[in-house]
Formats: sequence, C-alpha cells, structure tokens
Amino acid sequence: MNRQSIKVENLVKNFGKGDSLVEVINGASFEVNKGELVALIAPSGAGKTTLLMMIGCVEEPTSGTIWLGDEKVYENRWLTKETRKIRREKIGFIFQAHYLIPFLNILENVTLVPQTNGVSKKESEAFARELLDYFDIEDKAESMPSSLSGGQNQRAAIARALANKPQIILADEPTAALDLKRSVDVVKMLKKIALDQDVAIIMVTHDEAMLPLCDRILKIENKKVVSTEVPKKSHIL
Amino acid sequence: MINLAQKEIAHTFGKFIVTAMGVGMLLGIVLIMIGVYRGMLVDAQALLDDMDVDLWIVQENTLGPFAESSRIHEDMRDTIKVIDGIKESAGFTFQNLQLPSKSGAVRVFAVGYDPYGDINPINPKRLIAGRVLQRDHYEMVVTDKTAFQLNDKIPLGRDIYTVVGITHGTVSSGGDPLVYVSLKDAQELQFLYSNARTRNDRARGIASTNSHMINTVVARVRSGYDIDSVANDIRRFKHKAVFTATQEKTLLTKNLIKMASKQIGMFTVILVLVSTIIIALIIYTMTLEKMKEIAIMKLIGIPNSMIVKMIVQETLLMGVLAFISGNIFAHLIYTKFPKRVVLEAPDAFMLFIVVVLASILASFVGVKKVLSADPAEAIGG
Repeated sequence: MNRQSIKVENLVKNFGKGDSLVEVINGASFEVNKGELVALIAPSGAGKTTLLMMIGCVEEPTSGTIWLGDEKVYENRWLTKETRKIRREKIGFIFQAHYLIPFLNILENVTLVPQTNGVSKKESEAFARELLDYFDIEDKAESMPSSLSGGQNQRAAIARALANKPQIILADEPTAALDLKRSVDVVKMLKKIALDQDVAIIMVTHDEAMLPLCDRILKIENKKVVSTEVPKKSHIL
Repeated sequence: MINLAQKEIAHTFGKFIVTAMGVGMLLGIVLIMIGVYRGMLVDAQALLDDMDVDLWIVQENTLGPFAESSRIHEDMRDTIKVIDGIKESAGFTFQNLQLPSKSGAVRVFAVGYDPYGDINPINPKRLIAGRVLQRDHYEMVVTDKTAFQLNDKIPLGRDIYTVVGITHGTVSSGGDPLVYVSLKDAQELQFLYSNARTRNDRARGIASTNSHMINTVVARVRSGYDIDSVANDIRRFKHKAVFTATQEKTLLTKNLIKMASKQIGMFTVILVLVSTIIIALIIYTMTLEKMKEIAIMKLIGIPNSMIVKMIVQETLLMGVLAFISGNIFAHLIYTKFPKRVVLEAPDAFMLFIVVVLASILASFVGVKKVLSADPAEAIGG
C-alpha cells in the first residue's frame, strides 16, 4: 500500500530575473509519508516558508514536480487551475499565530472550509464538535476567538486545519509564540494527529527542542533539502 | 453555508450602524434638496391651482404677470367678459410688499382682487381662520407664515389694514407668503403715486397717472367651448397675450424656476457623488482592515466569489441602511425649513435605485483589493 503523501522532485524556486535572480531552492527532492510528523528546519531566509508555500500550492515553483497523494499537481506548471480547491480539499494550514477569522465563532471557523467544500451544515458541525472535543474545547464552540486564551485559539486553529479531513498539514512555526511547555503540548498533539488521522505533517520550526518529538527532519542546506534522523530526546522533554 | 457578510456586520454592528447613519445624513440632505425642488414646483402652482382659471390675459408681447411685468387697463375685464365663450372674468394685481411687524419686515406677495368679482383666489380649504375680504378697503387676508393674527393692524402705504382672515399653505412661486388685499387698495399701492410725485409730474406737464390698471385679467371659459379657440380670438381681436392655464403653469414651473432647479439638480448630483465616494472609501477602509483575514481565507481555500460576495453584500447593506436612516433624518427635519419641502415616495424610490447602483460601484474598490490580496501574506506574522 502506498504510504506516500507528499513527493517533491527537483523543485526549483528563483525570484527575479537576469542579474537580480535569486535562487532560493535549487533541486529539492523529498517525500513525506502518511502518519509522519516531519520538521523542516533551516536558518532564517533559507526558504522554509517558500518551500512550504510551494507544497501548499500557494507559491508557484520555477520548475520541478509535486505530488500530493496520488495526484501530480505540478510539473513545471500547475496541472490544474484550481489550486485553491486543492488547498481546500487536501491541505490543512496551521500558522504561528492562530489566525482564526475574528468575526466567526470557533464552530464557524472550524466548519467554514468543509461547508465551502459542500459538506452539509449538520455534518460539518458534528465533525467540528468531535474535533473540538478532541482538543478539549468543545464548550467553547459558540465563543468568539477574542474571548479565548492563546492556547485555546491555537487548538481551535488546529481543529480548523483538520476539519476538511486533509491528507497533508502544513504548519508554519506553530510553536513560535508559545512557551516551552505549551510548545511541547502542541507538537505532541500534532504527532498524535498524524497517527490518529493518518496525515502527513510538515512543521517549520526554529526550536531545536521540538525536534526529538518529530519522526524526521528535513533540512535546507545549500538550497537543497536533506533528510536527517531526529536527535536523541533532550532532557527537557 | 456561512454568510460572511452577516457575521462580519454582527461582529462590528455598532460601528457599521454609526457609519451607515453618517452616510445616511448625507443622503437625507439629498432627499431634502429634491424636496426643496418639489416644494418650488408646488409653490409655483399653488396660486394657479387656487384661482382655477382657464385663461390668463396680459399685456401684449409679455409673459406676464409672473414671469414678466404686465399692465393692462382694468376695463379689459369687462371687454373680455362679453367675448363669446367667456363665463367669468376678473382683474388681478400682483406685487411684492414688505409688511412691518414686531419682528421686523415681512416680505410678502400681495394678490389684489375684487371682493365682489366673479373669481375669488382664496381657496376655502386653505382659510383656517376669519373670512375672505368683504370690503373694498383696508382689509387683508394673510397666510399663517407671516405670523400676523386676526385683527392685527398693519400700516401700509397711506393706510392701515386689518387682518380679517388667515390662510395656510399659500405662497408665491418665489416662496414668499401670500397676502390678499382688495383690488382697489392694491391698485393704489401699485399704481398711485405719492402727492409729491404727482405735484412734480404736474410741474413737468405730465398728466396724472391713471391708477385703474391691473396686471392681468383671468377668465373661465363656458363648458362646450374650446379654450384654445377662445384664447386665439382674444389674441387676434384684443391685441393681448393670452395663456391657457397649462401654458401659465409651464411658464412658472419650466421657465421661472428653471435656473433654481438646475442649481438644486447640480447640488443633488454632487451630493450623490460625494456619498458614493464616501461609501467607497468606507468599504475600502473596511476591506483594508480585513486584509489579513482575507489572505487567510484565500490561503485555506475560500473561493474569491465568497469573499467578493461578502464585500458586495456589506456595501449594499451599508447603502440600504444609509438610505433608511437618511429617509428618517429627512422626515425629522424637513418641516424646519423656511420654504416648502415636499418629500415624495417616487423621489425616494429613485434615490434608492441610485444608492443601490452607487453601492455596487463603490464595492468595486473593495473587490479589487480582495482580488489583489496575496494568500502568502497570511504567513509570516
């Protein structure tokens, strides 16, 4: 059975042209399997977010190939005009801040994407409540984001990322704004989600303390992506 | 499906309502401006409607008695009366006066008519106190806007007049309150020179001026007679300018207040434009405030159509709420204006259509901003 969820081959991303051409990624190739939590690390400005945005069908690569699940979505050009539909149906996004829509309550935030995908209100709300219950904030379903704590909002944001039953979750520094304890909680939660929901998760992080919690590390070196083993568990974990 | 506009408005309800009310006040002024124009039309026709005559006979080659000055001899009334097809005729004078009062001079438009004549210009429905003129001299019927009371004494020219009746809603085409005096008094006020002037004229060898002049003869035509034919007969044989009631109304509404209506029309167009620009700016600002959320929505896959729908619905609702509050505002203040303001449903409906179109136009700036939002902006704080 094919466990591959993300496959990238010879991905190249350049900005600018001619003398002002900047190579950010030059020939990145890697795979991420279902149920895997993979950390993506690199120094600032090395292209982590750019790589994440290319896999998330937001930023168009210069060349290369991207598979999401069994579907080849990019081969030197987008193979579909509906990149936003791919994001809506296959990908969940988690950000550094929760970025919930402030004028929707938690339940509406979580059900927005599934309902846009055509899932009925009743069905999407039932699943959303399951997710909120999973993250222990079911009682906050009708609350507005402004009335919740940072941690509760971040959990709601993760629930939103899962609401469309994605194949892939792309997390851009989800622990950057959290203290160590909460960071560990969030990463452990992501690991649990990867296993429970059988999704592939790529997590951009600067926090080396989180690396032992991941299954694998993807490191951007010399504009290429190198896969490495995770370090042994730190004493703080 | 979640209605994003409804949720966003509910979230910022107070701000949204206050903004709509602000724009609404502008739209209220637009309605008032249109109402002023309508008021001018009503004012212009009020006296004509009250007199309810078929023909206006004035000095030849003039557009009198309102658009241009007109003088004809009083006996023309009797000459007209015997023309075949004429049922009733009467002589009238019209002039502006300044009546002295406790609160300063009151500018009025005086109608001089024969209290015993065929045609009485005072509409009984408009008479709210006292009576019409019953004597040839020193009586006056005033409109309530002059603030005079029954039995008030008003010195005018060489005489003192007593207020015997009060009317409501009687104004001239210029919006001045109407007063009614007897034809004889009106003729003295308009045509009789002072003693000093008469002496001076005599010394110059000029004969005394005949004060038996009037500004117009009005007439009603017998049923069965064609009004235009009778008018043509008078033009041909009496060498006078003759206007039918319709023509006289056209002279007043189309010609006399043409410039004023253009002026008001310009103001109205400018105000509608300003309102549109303000709505556009508000929507643009509201969209700018939401750019982060819009970028996130685009990033998580919400289609442009759903976000655009939110902007357009918000703009339309802003326009509709502004229109409603503008209407309320206009209805609260329109009676406070010194001149007549007439608010009519068809005008409000037209403005509603314009507001809806302007709102759609205004929403384009927000929609343009939405379409240009980069979903990648959602990432990176």
